[in-house]
Parts: sequence; structure tokens; C-alpha cells
Amino acid sequence: MPTLTEYVPDAPGEMGDRVFVVDQSRCIGCQACVQACEECGTHRGHSMMQLDFIDRGATVQTVPLICMHCADPTCAEVCPADAIKQNEDGIVQSSLKPRCIACWNCVNACPFGIPKKMFELDQMMKCDMCYDRSSVGLAPMCASVCPSQALWFGTPQEFDATRTGVLEDTMVFGGQYVRTKVQVVVHEPGPVAVAPGRRYTHWTDDPFGLDEGPAEADVSRDWPLAPALSAAQQRQAGPGAWPVAHGAGAGAGAGGVGGSAAGDAGDSRTEGARP
Amino acid sequence: MGVDLDRRAVTWGLVAVAVTVAMVILGSAGLRWFDAALVGYLFGVLFAIFGTVYRYAVWLRRPPTAVMRRRGWQAFFDRDIRRGNLRMVPGLVGANLLAQSFISKRSRLRWIAHQLVFWGCVLAVLVTFPLVFGWFHFESVGQRGREYQAFVAGFGTITFGSRTPFGWVVFHLLDISAVLVLAGVFIFLSRRLRDPGALAVERANDFLPLAGLFAVSVTGIMLTVSNLWMEGRFYTFITTLHALTVILGLMYVPFGKLFHIFQRPANLGAEFYKRAGAHGPQQACRECGAQFASALQMGDLKEEVLPQMGFDYRLDDGHWQDVCPRCRRRLFALAQSARVGGFG
Amino acid sequence: MARPPLTEEELVARYGPHLNTAPPGGWSADADIDRMVRTHCCFCGQQCGIILKVADDEVVGFEPWYEFPFNEGKLCPKGVKRYLQGNHPDRLLEPLERDPAAPRGFREVSWDHALDRVAREIRRIQAENGKDSFAILNGASLTSEKAYLIGKFARLAIGTSNSDYNGRLCMVSAGHGYNKAFGVDRAPNPWSDIPRADVVFVAGANIAECAPITTSYIWRARDNGARLIVADPRVTPIARTADVFLGLRPGTDSALLGSILHVLVERDWVDHEFVDAHVEGFEEAAAAVAGYTPAWASDVTGVPAARIEEAAEIWGTAASGMILHARGLEHHTSGVDNVSAAINLALATGRIGRPGSGPCMVTGQGNGQGAREHGNKSEQLPGMRRIDDPEARAYISEVWGCTDEELRGKGYSAEEIVWAIDRGEIKGLLSICFNPVVSLPDSNTTRRALEKLEFFAVVDFFLSETAFHADVVLPGSLQEEGEGVVTTLEGRVVKINEAKPPPGNARRDVDIFCDLAGRLGAGRYFPYRDTREIFDELRVASKGGVADYYGMTWERIEEENGIFWPCPEEGHPGTPRLFEDRRFRTPSGRARMVPVAFRPPAEVVDSEYPVWLTTGRVVSQYLSGTQTRRIGPLVKQYPEPLCEIHPRLAREHGIESGDVVRVSSRRGTMTLPATVVSTIRPDTVFIPYHWAGDRAANQLTNPALDPESRIPEFKTCAVRVERVGPGGATVDRRDYETRTGDAPDTGDAPNTAAGGVPGEAPGPATPPGSGT
Repeated sequence: MPTLTEYVPDAPGEMGDRVFVVDQSRCIGCQACVQACEECGTHRGHSMMQLDFIDRGATVQTVPLICMHCADPTCAEVCPADAIKQNEDGIVQSSLKPRCIACWNCVNACPFGIPKKMFELDQMMKCDMCYDRSSVGLAPMCASVCPSQALWFGTPQEFDATRTGVLEDTMVFGGQYVRTKVQVVVHEPGPVAVAPGRRYTHWTDDPFGLDEGPAEADVSRDWPLAPALSAAQQRQAGPGAWPVAHGAGAGAGAGGVGGSAAGDAGDSRTEGARP
Repeated sequence: MGVDLDRRAVTWGLVAVAVTVAMVILGSAGLRWFDAALVGYLFGVLFAIFGTVYRYAVWLRRPPTAVMRRRGWQAFFDRDIRRGNLRMVPGLVGANLLAQSFISKRSRLRWIAHQLVFWGCVLAVLVTFPLVFGWFHFESVGQRGREYQAFVAGFGTITFGSRTPFGWVVFHLLDISAVLVLAGVFIFLSRRLRDPGALAVERANDFLPLAGLFAVSVTGIMLTVSNLWMEGRFYTFITTLHALTVILGLMYVPFGKLFHIFQRPANLGAEFYKRAGAHGPQQACRECGAQFASALQMGDLKEEVLPQMGFDYRLDDGHWQDVCPRCRRRLFALAQSARVGGFG
Repeated sequence: MARPPLTEEELVARYGPHLNTAPPGGWSADADIDRMVRTHCCFCGQQCGIILKVADDEVVGFEPWYEFPFNEGKLCPKGVKRYLQGNHPDRLLEPLERDPAAPRGFREVSWDHALDRVAREIRRIQAENGKDSFAILNGASLTSEKAYLIGKFARLAIGTSNSDYNGRLCMVSAGHGYNKAFGVDRAPNPWSDIPRADVVFVAGANIAECAPITTSYIWRARDNGARLIVADPRVTPIARTADVFLGLRPGTDSALLGSILHVLVERDWVDHEFVDAHVEGFEEAAAAVAGYTPAWASDVTGVPAARIEEAAEIWGTAASGMILHARGLEHHTSGVDNVSAAINLALATGRIGRPGSGPCMVTGQGNGQGAREHGNKSEQLPGMRRIDDPEARAYISEVWGCTDEELRGKGYSAEEIVWAIDRGEIKGLLSICFNPVVSLPDSNTTRRALEKLEFFAVVDFFLSETAFHADVVLPGSLQEEGEGVVTTLEGRVVKINEAKPPPGNARRDVDIFCDLAGRLGAGRYFPYRDTREIFDELRVASKGGVADYYGMTWERIEEENGIFWPCPEEGHPGTPRLFEDRRFRTPSGRARMVPVAFRPPAEVVDSEYPVWLTTGRVVSQYLSGTQTRRIGPLVKQYPEPLCEIHPRLAREHGIESGDVVRVSSRRGTMTLPATVVSTIRPDTVFIPYHWAGDRAANQLTNPALDPESRIPEFKTCAVRVERVGPGGATVDRRDYETRTGDAPDTGDAPNTAAGGVPGEAPGPATPPGSGT
């Protein structure tokens, strides 16, 4: 039976110095990671990815997260059943099946909001960084497929050679510093302070320039009420016929055939747009 | 296991051993019915009891476990939901501890294997422990030695013929249990070896108990084989080997994976805890307002478990865990995105 | 009359879409993998490399193909779950014949019966109504060998000139634009040029959802310091962090691009040296936009004038730059003009034939590039030859050993074929790899037309909504059930390898067409013993053409991870970047700038229909969804169409997220849930088009065609929006099943990127972004 490692270009046989890097800002929300995660051998059929919208009403920004694999994992410490173990590679494993008593302490305590309640199985499950893959030098499924490489797996040298930003492995929540195996991208080094109250970070609050003067886009009513022309009529109307090009030059074909209807349209547009 | 022994746990362990010894003496009518040949087993059992109770005591005192235990019992006896709790007990014990239906949701085959091993072990314990403790023994009745009587604590009970089907079953109970265990072990092993995913996350800790169960069962069956088909050849050797595997197995119980047998019932406590939590007020996320956990459990986490485990997630005006898991992820991303100016 | 034998609901209940959710035998099945097959994803023109895991002649999973240079293992969700289209309960395993009396509406028949009937009907209809009364529609997701074979089949076996393909809904505007400018219909640059650009201008391309892997190229460009400009009526995921976002009104692309050209000329950000030496038509193109000041364009497009100037400055002052455009520019009655306007920006600044510089179309369909090169498109012969070029006709008739007469001529385009059916001019149709009921505009007209057919035969692996109308259905093969080549959006020819044979009595598409050709008495033209012989003939047929494959062999293609055409002789390395020698394949040898004057869409908003509608795709679905609507995890990701609407417009109508709205145009009406998002223009609503029946966005769209490319205007029409009621107010039965069938397996917030907040009753899942 062909094994995974047969298809690795240069499987080092272990994770080596490869690191998992998350850059949430690059995510396009496509869910390739969500879909690929359940193909992983250690949790087949169950996706451990966390992918959320920040606030879909306001932005398309999404948050892809795997387990951050804390050096001192809160989830394991609050587990009453000793069900969460960290292995020699620093991977915080999913809950041990015989032990987990489904109390959800880990889910409620994890500062990153990662563990999943699997009600059917009466068990918590979480990302183990595709340990069947990463333990033999293969990239985890999510980082393998991620089209935007918001999820990335490789050596720090490879990162420096190909990407901007620096890697940061410490996050702060209130009084708690949390060091993680998974690193995030920042522009300047220094712990990432995570705090309540932050709203979405749109690159601009006004993507369509609704508040930028004449080009006001909220025009469901004041759009020129040009009569609907057939395609043939429109072709006849010729280029530039609607709305009338105004300003410096009349533009090519501004006075084309069929200009009267189009002219009206242009005028009403002008009125609407330039109070 | 820490290097320094926990004195309270040692005390509990010794008490448990003492109680067991006392029950052995009482149950065997002052060792009258105690079978000296089984003394090795007795020591194995006593060690297992000490170790298990010791570890259990240590485990119970870890802050998360202690809170869970305290809350579990509190919830169980909670006036408002006590009746419902009591009614739930048989169902919970049946489904979670005996039928283990939660495993079948993970995988039907895994469940079958686990049930085989579980009932095989239960059967073996039910047969051997009373024998070892001298609580139970057989005596031949009549001249021809084909009739046996079972004695419990020295009192004669039923009599049966050794050649009757009932007799056959009684004398082969341990073989039956061994076959059950072996079947289960084989299913477990074949699953693990064929599933590269499982293999990657398994560790020696997961194979050792299977190896132990295998050794105990095989040597046990070989005793019967030797007796029936080999005219008793190697019988003494196999007896010694079997005793050795069993005693080592018993001594392993407190340390390894098998300890989950004693942890698992805590699941019932967790059920009652969650029930009590659901009955009371809920924690609303300070970001989105959604209720995401019971206020009871969140209070325990924030005020007891997390601080006692050395974490300080306090904010100026509350606690990081007042944010629901989903908003924690969103806020983390926003904090990171702010550090890359919108694009990394 | 090709009417469905049962109601749509009955046919859906019997033939699907049903959902396949787990690999064969379930997630816990122990599958011993027999083969790992290196091939390519069947969904979209990027043709990502993928390794399919095969056990017992079923594809049971995938492994990333890290060594394939284009995607290096990356896949979108469609690629990840593509293996679930195999071993599917809806798969057609026997030839079918319509039989309204049969419980399933169709009865199973033998291949002989089915093929004989198809041949007989073709000949009967043609004998009664002339050769062109029988048409063939095919698709751009077929391998190049199949496309070549079908083009040849249409001309030599059926003998009709009415043969067209569904790339007519996809790449034809770009093709015409590039042919006019360069004489070559191909993206001039390999994608590895994108990270080398100083500015990347994404115009009308929802990269994140329609070409997701291209995202990594754009992000790499930005890692290298590139600026990003995005023009789109919606803030797409790729637009979210753009340096300049041009949120234009649908249908005003050439005004926006023309205005940028206006600023380039005005500020003299023009590469005069290049223009003087290698471009013709600069003066005319500049004159055409003389009046297109940013202020004017701002009025037309709704984009702030300052942003237009900023974009022009970034583009004009950069050392290199690429414009990536897709259907957002092309799906218009001015589609070709829009493409020309984009190319003009590149030519004015000398950005062609250099690393990191060029205009590039982002091809949509699986073999959107290759399939249009080899003769299944109504106006072309193999090798991207024009069918009205006497030299080309002479060469191809020599290769095929046929007469010039037999080659037939240019016929109707896809939409026009449907119109001709509606008029009664075309009476018989054979269709493969095309689901016009879902994918053509104005689906009510399409359905009505199909019902008028005297005979309709369909080759397909699932019973698509179009196949509901068929008299005879021939069960064909999936992409992984045959081999051949496809050409990616880069112009890279790659090899598709067979992972498994067709199941049951299904047959390979090539075998079906060769068999049918024999029954039509044209067997001498189709002597192929295997697909490789078709490829070898294709090589010869393409020799000397624009898309010259002559130097390629299947072995070389695999060894070299694909070869870029043209590759005119053996040993030729292929041509990743076109025009490095500045020699263009136009008559003059110069690149041509085409004067583009803004033309409004064929239908504009008015008091009756005051809102713009634009349609597009979501990342989890592919085209008409024949395959992807049958893959459970993809359906779960975005189960039903949602109407994106801006809060301002929503407020006017009292609409909240999750409410059911009615959207009506002059052609039809649909009801669907709304999702209120400020990432779309307030005067525009968006509906993705992948669904059928009363969930089809194409009930609303306008079938007006571009005068040159004949592409329909999917991207713009006028609609009215009304609130019907709260969530769940009215949905059809299938919506309901989809929504309730598959609960998330986690108790935490749903793991899909649902829009609501945890704890709220789950409304319709708001998908992550969605595309133009």
C-alpha cells in the first residue's frame, strides 16, 4: 500500500524546524481548509478547522484557526480527566477517547476558542496538526490546500525568503501571556494583545465611497430613468450615448443617435448627483 | 506520578489495602478457605488496589477534578433536580458505563472490540477475585469426583455435575473470558495497524495494555490446552508464566491507560454538573451576548480552576473567558490583523 | 416534443441531485489504496494538480500534489471534495429512453437501441428539414481530445454547421478582445509573472471564489511590494485589503477603464517608445476617451473620481503591471469592448511580453482554454483557425480527408441555437457537458425552447436539469474515467490521467461519439483505437495554427509538468510568455488598441425595475452545479442561493438578513433568502447562479448578446426587490431538505462561516464572500 511518505519530495521524517504560521488577514474564507481537514487520517470525517466571519454584514473578512498548540495548554490544565496530552513535538493532542468525560471545561477555557464539542461522540475533539502528516514532515491538510496561504507550514527561513512580516508566538489575554507552537504574522515583533471590544478592521469604512461627495452610490431611486432599450436599439444608440459625457469634452459619440432618451437620462443623473 | 509521595493519598491507599485484607480474612472464614497457591495473585491485587486508590486520590485533588467532583455530587443532591437525577442514574450507568454507546458513535467496530474486552475482563474479575480472596471455592461431592459444590464464604450452595453443560461452562468461564478478550484485542490491533492516522497518534502507552491483555489471555488458555490435550505438560511452567503476566498486569493498572476504567464514572458527575448548570443561569458573551455555557461552570473556571492552575486571564473589567469561543477567535484575528495593517 | 416525462420534483426525487457525503464505505472504512493517480482537478480553468487515491476502481480520496508547479498542493474546497462525484447514487449506468409510463420517467435500453435511435432521428430530421436543422451543444469542461472529436463529429458525422459550446457563456468576449488586439486568444503571461508585477489590477474577477489558487499569486505579488487595485460591484474577499477599490456600478466597466486611459493620456503616463514601435490605433483609442474625465466616469460608474485618478496613477507610474479580468468584464453586451478597454491600459503603458506585465484573462471552465482551440466553437477549426479562412479550411480538409463542403461553415452561437429551436428552425439537438436550462440566461425561454425539439439526445453522467427533457440519455464518463489533455488558464497543456473505468454500462465519451459516427456512416473519419490517436491527429491538425500543439506528446507533457502552446515542433520548449519578441499575430504585426466608447447595458434600471442585478459564482459550486450540487460537503457550505443586498436598500424595503425576498425582472421572478451586507453597492443586488428550477438566478437575467462575441449579458439587468416575509416564508421542497438534512456536528458555533452569532437561531448560512 502506498504510504503518504512515498509522495513527499524530501520527507525529513519529522517536523524538524518547520513551523505552522497563521495570517488571518490573508484568509479568503473559501473553506478549503474546513473541507480538507476531515480528510486527515487522525480524525477522518470530522473537521477540526474553525472558520468564522468577523461580521458578514460589514465585511467579508474571515478567521481561519487551527489549534495554536500552547506551550502550557490551558485546555489540558483545566481538564478534570487528564484527557488532553501534549507530545514530545509540542503538539497538544485531541482528547483521549477513553478519558474525555465531555464536561467542556477545555472548550470554555481555551483562550483561542478552539476545542469543539462533539455531542454525538460525547467527546471534545480538536486539531492535532494532522499529526499523521506533520510527524513525517508533511504539511498538515489545511496548510497544504490553503489557496491564500493564510495557513502556512514551512521553515522560518522559507518564510523570511518569501513573505513579509515577522513571526510571533506570544499572545496576551488580560494578565495571561500564552506562548504557542503555532505562530502568527505581525509587522513588528512583540506579543499580540487580544482584548474585547475591537470591531471589524475594514480597510475603509466606506468601500463604495458613499460619503465621498458627487459619486454617491445610493441611487436606487435617483439613477437616470432611461427607458429600457433593446440590445439592438442600444447598439444603434452608439457609444457614449448614455449618460451624456459632460465636463471638458463631449466625448466620442456623445450626440449619437437615440441621444434624446439617453440625454434625459444623463440630465436626471446630473440633477440627482449634483445637488 | 510525582517523585514525592502524596501522604494523604498513601493513607487512602493503605486504608483500601487494609479493608481488602480484612474482607479477605472475613470472607474466607479466617483464611480457612484461602488458597495459598494464589497468594501471588493476592499480592498483585493488593498492589493494584493501593496504586489505583493512590492515583485516584491524587487525581481527585487536582483543582479541575476536585471542582468537578464537588459540583457533581452537589448537583446530584440538588433539591430541585434530585428526582430527575435519580431517575437518570440507571440509564446513564447502562448507556455510559455498561453499553458504552458513546463508543459505537465513534466506530461500530471499535465498540464491538471494547465490549468484548470489557465483558471479558469483567467476567474474569468476577470469577478470579472471589477465588483469590478465598470467598468462593469448589469442593467435590461424592465418591467419583464428578459432582462439585460451590461454596461462598464457606457456605455450600449449588451442586452440579462436572460433565453437565453447566459444569463445563463453570469450569471454562475463564477460557470464555479469554476468548472474548482476545477477539477484542485482535480487532483493536488490526484497526490500529491499518489506520495510519490512528498509528500516528498512538503511543507505547496504547499498545502496552493490549499486549498485556493478550499475554494474560493466551497463557490462561494455554493452561486449559495443556490440561486437556497435552496431558499436563508444561503445566507448571505455564501456571508460573500466567501468574506472572496477571500480576504484572494488575500492577500496571494504576499507571497506564487502564486507569480510565476508574476515571470514566466521572462522566456521570459531569452529566449532573452540566444538568445543574443548564438548570441555572447562563453565561452571556460580553461581545455578542450569546449564551454559551452555564454560569455555574464558568464561575468555577474563572474563580477556582484557572487561578488554581496558575492562569490569570483577568481583564480590567472582567475575565477573558467572559467572551464566547467564537468571539475569542474573532478578536484574536482582529488583533492580529491590526498588527499587519489589514494585510500581512 | 422534448418535455420532461414527470414533474421536476419527481425527476429530482429519482435522479437527484442527491448528496454524496462520505468516501465509498464511509469514513471509517479501511481502504487499501491501489493507485495514486496524478491528474488535475476537473473544476475550473486553473486545473490544479491533484493526486487521486484509488481503491478497488473507486476514487476514495486525494493527496495534495506538492510538486505540480502551478498550485503546489493547494486546492479549493471543490478540489478537495471532487472525489465524491464518483461512486455516486445518482450516476447514470444504463442508456435511458424517455417513457412517461415508466415509474422513473425513463426506461433503460440497450446501447444498440439508444445509439440506433439517435442516428435514425438525426438523419430523419435532417432529411426533412435540412442539414442545419440538427444542432450540437458541447462544453468547455471536456478534454481537448473530446472537444476536437466533437467538432469533427458535428461537421463530418452529423454535417451541421450549428455546433457551439458553453464557452460561449464564458470566454468568448475575452477571446474576441485578445484576437483583435494580438491575434491570439490566450492569456499572454504565465501565472508566475503575477508575483513579479509592481501593480496587480483585478478587474471584474472574483479571484477568491472563482480562481482561488490565484489568490496566492496575488498575495505573493504583494509580499514583493505590489499594489493591488480591484474593480468590482462587490467587496470581494480579494478586494477587502486592496490599495484602491473601485466599486463600480454593474455594466459600466468600459467607462471606468476608459477614464483610467483618459488620465494616462492626460498625465502622459504612456510608453511612447513601445506604442510608436509596436502599437496601432493608439490615437483613435485615446480620442475615444477624450471626454472620459474622472468626474464624468464617476457619475457613470459611481466610483469616486479621486479613486479613479489614484488607480490611474498607480497603474501609470508603476514599472510593471498585470490586469487580471474575468466574467465581470466579459458577461456584457459590451463584453468585447470591456476587454479591449482593459488591454488598452496594458498597451498604452507597454505592458506586454515582459515579466510581470500583461493583460490576462482568468479562464473559468475546466478546459475553457483548450476546448475553444480545436474546433467545437462555431466559428473555429482546430488550432484556433478561423472557419472563414480559406487557407485554414484547405489545411483541415486535407488533414481530415474530407471536402471543403463537408467542413460546413459558421453556425449559430449557443444562445442563438436555443432561439432557433424556439423559432422551429432547429428541430433536433445532441448535447454533452452543457446544462443550458441552468446556465443560459432567461431560463424560462430556454425550457420552452427545449420542449419544442422533435428529438433531443444528451450525453451525461448525471441526469442534469437539461437532460430531464431528453428523448435519449447516453451515460458518459467523468473526467477521471478517461485520459487526455486540457489547457489551463495559463495556456499550459496538462495531462489528465485515467483513475478508474466508467461504472456499470456507462461508456467513455470518446467511445460514444466514435460509435455514433459509425452508425451515421462516417466511421472512416473516426478510426481511433484510443484517445492517444485522437491527440496525435489533433497535433497535426493544430500544426501551423495559432494554438500549435504539434511539438507536444503526452509523455513530454507529463514529464515537464505541462507545456505552454505554441509548441510548433518536437523539442520546442513551449511558450510560457507570449510576445517577448513584440511580434503580434495581427495582419500588421503590431498590437492593436481598439477605440472603446462606453455603451450602457442592454437593460437599465427604471421606475418599474429600479435595482441592478448582477450574478456570479460561489466558491463551493461549479457552473450549473450538475456535479457540485451532488457533493454533500460543498452543498452544506452554501446550500441555496442568497440575495446579497446593501443595508440601505434593505432598509427601504424593510428587509432583514434571512428574510425571504422576491426578485423580479421582465423575464421572471424568484424568491430567495436575503443576506444584508454592506459589501455590495446600494443600488445593486447579487444572486449566484448555480441552482436550477425556481432557485435559478437565470430566470431573471437578460439574454441580450454582445454583438461580436454573442456572450449573454449575465452581469447586468434591472430588477425589482420586495420583501415576502421572514425566513422560511416560502421555499421549495428541495431547499427545505437541504437545510434540515445535515446538521453541523459541533455544538460550538457552527464550523461553517455562518453569518449569525452563536446562540441565535441559525438563519440561512451566509457564505463567505461570493463572486462576480
